[in-house]
Amino acid sequence: MIEFLIFIMFPLFIAALLFAIKDLKLQYMFSLITGGFHLAFSFIVFTNNFSSKMPMFFELDGLNRYFLLILSNVYFWVVLVSYKFIKERINEEAKISYSYYFLLLNVYLASNSAALLSNHFGMYWVSVEATTLSVAPLIYFYKNEEALEAMWKYLFVVSLGIAFAFIGILFLSLSSKDTSIEGGQLFFSSFITHAKELNPIWLKASFIFIFIGLSTKIGIAPMHNGDVDATANAPSPIAALMSGSLRLTALIGVMRIFNIIKFTDSFQFARTLLIIGAVLSIIAAFIYMFKANNYKRMLAYSSVEHLGIITLGLGIGNIAFLGALLHAFYNSICKIILFLSAGKIHRFYGSREINKVNGVLKHFPISGWLFIIAYMAISGIPPFGIFFSELTIFEGILISDLPFVLILLMILLLFIFINMGKITFNMVYKEENDIKLLGKKDSFDIINIVSVLLVILLVVVASSASKFLTPNLIEITKAFGYAL
Amino acid sequence: MENVFSILFCLTLFYVAVTYRVKAYVTILAIQGALLTFLLFIPLLDNFNPFSVILPLTIFVVKGVVIPIYINKIILKLDVKRKIEPTIEQISFLSLVILTIVLTFVFSIYLSSITKLEIIPFAVGFSSIFTGIYIIMFRKKLIVHVCGFLVMENGIFLLSTVVASELPMTIELGVMLDLFVVVFLMGIALNRIKSTFSGFEVTHLDRLKD
Repeated sequence: MIEFLIFIMFPLFIAALLFAIKDLKLQYMFSLITGGFHLAFSFIVFTNNFSSKMPMFFELDGLNRYFLLILSNVYFWVVLVSYKFIKERINEEAKISYSYYFLLLNVYLASNSAALLSNHFGMYWVSVEATTLSVAPLIYFYKNEEALEAMWKYLFVVSLGIAFAFIGILFLSLSSKDTSIEGGQLFFSSFITHAKELNPIWLKASFIFIFIGLSTKIGIAPMHNGDVDATANAPSPIAALMSGSLRLTALIGVMRIFNIIKFTDSFQFARTLLIIGAVLSIIAAFIYMFKANNYKRMLAYSSVEHLGIITLGLGIGNIAFLGALLHAFYNSICKIILFLSAGKIHRFYGSREINKVNGVLKHFPISGWLFIIAYMAISGIPPFGIFFSELTIFEGILISDLPFVLILLMILLLFIFINMGKITFNMVYKEENDIKLLGKKDSFDIINIVSVLLVILLVVVASSASKFLTPNLIEITKAFGYAL
Repeated sequence: MENVFSILFCLTLFYVAVTYRVKAYVTILAIQGALLTFLLFIPLLDNFNPFSVILPLTIFVVKGVVIPIYINKIILKLDVKRKIEPTIEQISFLSLVILTIVLTFVFSIYLSSITKLEIIPFAVGFSSIFTGIYIIMFRKKLIVHVCGFLVMENGIFLLSTVVASELPMTIELGVMLDLFVVVFLMGIALNRIKSTFSGFEVTHLDRLKD
């Protein structure tokens, strides 16, 4: 019960409280305490395998303990920088958004935790839709035309996608006809135990609808557009929140249905779909990197790419599955650093266009260096975590029955690395004189401190993962029925 | 009895397919909401208990009353032109809808031979989902897109009433709440879009590209 109170009810309560508090600083303090509390508790729950009886529709298991840790880690850092970030807004209109910024962040935390902790497809659906609703107004923070369009598209496309996922859930319930769970509740666990009895046609249909529907939120090609627009136009902390945690919340839904299908004869079918979706996403990122003209959009596409890699790992299975789980954690941290430095650069230059930004290192060395380091980290340069998780995924692909996927993946990733590098180094090194600067000087503020801490965290976690992450992840992998 | 209401529901789809008026969409949404409520009341005729009235009543209030009134208010407030401005001829749209309905019926009959299935509500629900998608694809006005989304949601709801295991009430109520908030947020966004882009059509939304 205590987890339920801390993870879901407490943020909701704080959100209700913030409705009455008008002072921004006070709102920030309350949200920060909630975030810290959430992080501390989810860390305890993860490391000690702690669990107690939760209300109906909620349950802790290995997978959601891990994803909850990722969520609260991302959320805490995002809230920490939020006050500083929104105080230095770009336009005057954005001031109206102050009144609901922290309130909606708390609603987001509550609904996202509910989605992760749910053990019932219906509850999961309701909570995931609630996360969309809480994040949509946050995308429209800057109150300009682009943000409005992005918010509309995100709200509409994702709502449509989630409606599709609902059809998938209905099909899942149809698949249980004439079995011992007919007419029962849609609990994940009961479907997993009775997976073999389910009707394969409905089960396959259910997987197609849930995967395609949730793809709009995960950002799997070809349904990634709404998500990319939203990530590219939201304020940087929100973009980091979306890339680091919201996409994974949608991914866990696909993993739940995949877990059911894993134990049936339809497994190959679902696996092929996952791999196709994943490769298409990486190809989408690969194509965009050739014509990129907006650096926040570039980062949004980088999220599409990395969620593609994670999905690929899930589909390939065995050791690649383990790598994919690790990758989810490292990617979420990298994305925070990337988006925060991009956000600072946006502040200094007032533009998201790549050719209007150059000489970052000369004018704003701290942000410039952090941007380079984050680029290195996301590209899989050691000693940052992504190197190890990608290596694990590559190894998994190589020893799987589809080793040729690795060649394709390597080529795509190489070109993404080169193109992203070209853009990044042009931005930080190239110098032109007629550049307009909005910011005067780069001071070492909380946003930089958080970025540096996260860089350290990335290295520390990578070096100590075998002690505190991997044992739990191996358990999760085994629960999915994969051999290691 | 379920079949009668499902057929009536199907007729509303035809009306949606031929009408030129934005207001007719709102009326249809209200009618569909009422039909879904009746559909939920049928099982209550045999064994009535006061607790199970909550869900049909909520559906009626949300789908039949609140959402249509809200959309109507937006239409009046934003002074939307009364015609829907289709991108294809109405007659082709109607043929498309009819073709879809025929195909979903044929498909449902085929499916019913492999699993136990109530053919008519299942086929109508699916046709409604497709019609909703067509409305979104072939209409320019964003407010009509919202109506298309709701037609689709109603179709899903019809589908869920014929599926074996029912969702528990707390979750159904959660779904309703989510739906209401989605429409509410879309309304606010439309308001903004009207004042920002001084227009209301999907063609205005073309700033974001790769």
